[in-house]
Amino acid sequence: MSTQTAVRSQNSWLALPGNVWRSIFRNPLPTSDYGRSSTSFTNFFLHIHPVKVHRHSLKATYTWGLGLMATFLFLILVVTGILLMFYYVPSTTQAYDRMLDLRGTVAFGIFLRNMHRWSAHGMVAVVFLHMCRVFLTGAYKPPREFNWVIGVFLFLITLFLSFTGYLLPWDQLAFWAITVGTSIAGYAPFVGKDVRFLLLGDATVGQEALLRFYVLHVAVLPVVLTGLVTIHFWRIRKDGGLAKPEEEETGTTSPGAVTAAAVEAPATMAVAAGAAGGSAAGVAAFPKRSFGIQGLVRGPLVKVGGLEDKTLFSWPNLFQAELLVFVISVAAILVVSLFFNAPLEEPVNVMHPPNPAKAPWYFLGLQEQVSYSAFWGGVGVPTLEVLLLLLVPYIDRKQKGVGKWFAKERFLANTLFMTFAVINVVLVIIGTLFRGANWEFVSPW
Amino acid sequence: MIKNPKPTNDGSPEDIGRRRMLSWLSGVGLCGSAIIAAASNLVFIKPRATYGQPAKFAIGKPEDFPAGARISLDTRRVCIVREGDKVAAISTTCTHLGCIVSVAETGFACPCHGSHYDQDGNVTSGPAPKALAWYQVTLAPNGDLYVDKDNEVEAGTYLKV
Repeated sequence: MSTQTAVRSQNSWLALPGNVWRSIFRNPLPTSDYGRSSTSFTNFFLHIHPVKVHRHSLKATYTWGLGLMATFLFLILVVTGILLMFYYVPSTTQAYDRMLDLRGTVAFGIFLRNMHRWSAHGMVAVVFLHMCRVFLTGAYKPPREFNWVIGVFLFLITLFLSFTGYLLPWDQLAFWAITVGTSIAGYAPFVGKDVRFLLLGDATVGQEALLRFYVLHVAVLPVVLTGLVTIHFWRIRKDGGLAKPEEEETGTTSPGAVTAAAVEAPATMAVAAGAAGGSAAGVAAFPKRSFGIQGLVRGPLVKVGGLEDKTLFSWPNLFQAELLVFVISVAAILVVSLFFNAPLEEPVNVMHPPNPAKAPWYFLGLQEQVSYSAFWGGVGVPTLEVLLLLLVPYIDRKQKGVGKWFAKERFLANTLFMTFAVINVVLVIIGTLFRGANWEFVSPW
Repeated sequence: MIKNPKPTNDGSPEDIGRRRMLSWLSGVGLCGSAIIAAASNLVFIKPRATYGQPAKFAIGKPEDFPAGARISLDTRRVCIVREGDKVAAISTTCTHLGCIVSVAETGFACPCHGSHYDQDGNVTSGPAPKALAWYQVTLAPNGDLYVDKDNEVEAGTYLKV
C-alpha cells in the first residue's frame, strides 16, 4: 500500500521540483560514510579528488595550499582575461586607447584589469613557491619524477604567459620591457636571432609582435598550460596522492601488512583495489595504499581486516580545505585590486627609451646577470639552471626524507636548492630596487 | 563439415616478419608526417613579408649631409656619418638590449644601461657585448642615398660621393 503511494507521488506533478534537483545531483547531502564516498565519486566536479585522502596531505603546514592557489589564480586569470578580450584590440594604433577606455569608460574595466595584472604577478610568485615546497619536502622522488618535470615546464609557461601579456597595453613599460626581454633571447647561440625574429615577426617590436604576443597569450599558451595542468593533476592521483613520509605511506605500522591483507581478500577485491590504485597488475604491483571499506565505491564490499586507517573522507575535509584556499586567493586578489591600480605609462614612443629600461620583475634577475655578461648571464646560466631543474629527480635518486620539510637526510640537496633560489631572488631584488639610470647602483631609500 | 580457411596470421616466422614490417612502416610514416607537419608550421610562422619599416630606404641627397655631419635618424635607427666626401651608416640600436643610442661627444651613448661607443661604434665601456653595426650605403641613379639594413658591412666602409 505504502509502496503504491510512493510510486504515485513519483509520477505526479507534486514530485516537482525535487525530482529535477535529484536528477542533477544524484546524491543527497551525505549523512553516511557511503554517501560521502558516492558524492565524491559521482559528481563530475568532485571526481578529480580521491574519495578518501590521507591526513598528512591535509596538513596546511605541509603544502601551504600553494599548488591549489596557483590553479585558482589561473582560473581568475582565465575569467578576467576573457572579459578583457571583449574590449581589447591588438593593434598598435588602438591598444593603448583601449587601456584608457578600460580605465575611464568600461564598467569595472579598471578593476578587471587590476585583477588580471595582480593575479598574473601572483601566479608567477606562487608557482615558484610551490616549486620550492615540492623540492624542500623531497616530493619529486619516484614515482613522481616526471610530474616534477611537467611542473618545471608549467613554471616556464607561466613566465612566458606573463611575459606575452606584458606587451599588450602598448605603453612605454610594455614596449621597452619586451624590447629588452627579446634582446636577451637574441643572445642564444645559433638560434637566438631566428627565435627573436619568429617571436617578433619583424626586426623590431611592432604591430607583428603585438599580434603574435596576443595570439600566444590568449590562445596558444593557455591551452598548453591547461593540458599540462590536467596531466599534472592526473599523475598526482595515479601516484597515490601527495608524497608522504614512508612511515605514513601505509595505514599500518608494518609495510607488509597491506599486501598480506590484499592476498587474504578474495581475488575480486584485490583487483578492484588494484584498479583503483592505478595498477591492474594485481597483488604484485599493489600500490602502497590502504583502502577502508567505504573507500571503495563500486565493487564487492569485503571486510579486509583491522587496518589502522589514516585517511579521512574528502567530503567534507578536503573540499573545505580547498574552498578555504579558493576564498583566500580570491579575497587577496580582490583586496589588492581595490587598493592598487595596474601601472599604465605613457603611450609607446620608440624614440625615447626610459632610463633605465627594465624587463618584467621576474626577468630582472636575468637582466642583472646580462649586465655582467651578455651570453652567460642571459643564456648560458639560465639554460643550465633549467636543465638542472629538469634533471633534479634523476640526479638525486635517494629515497630518504620524502614528505618532510627540511628532512635531515636531504640536507645537501636542500642547501644547494636554497642557495640557487636565494641567489636568483636576490638578483631579482637588486635588479628591481637597486638599479637606476644607466643601470647604476642606487639606493631605494 | 565446413573446413575453416587457413588463418593468415598464424604466427609463423614469415607472418611475424610481415607484421613487424608493417608496424615499422606505419611508425616511420607517422613520425615522418609529424616531423613534416612541425617543419611546415615553422615555415608558416616565419613571415616572408614584414609589415614594419622596409630594411632598405632612401635618406636623401648627399648634399643633405655636410662634411663632418653625424645625423641620427631615430625612426630609422641609423646614424648617417659624413667625413669629407665619404658617407656611412652606423646602427643606433644598442647591441646590449636593443635601446636607441644617442650621438654623444665621444661617439654614442646608450641611455638604458650605460654602454658607451666611440665614433666608429666600438664599445668603450658598459655592458654592450659588441660594436654597433655598419650598413651598406648606395647611391641610386636618381641621386638619392639608400641605406640597406639587411646588408651589414665591415666597420670603416664608406661610400665615396
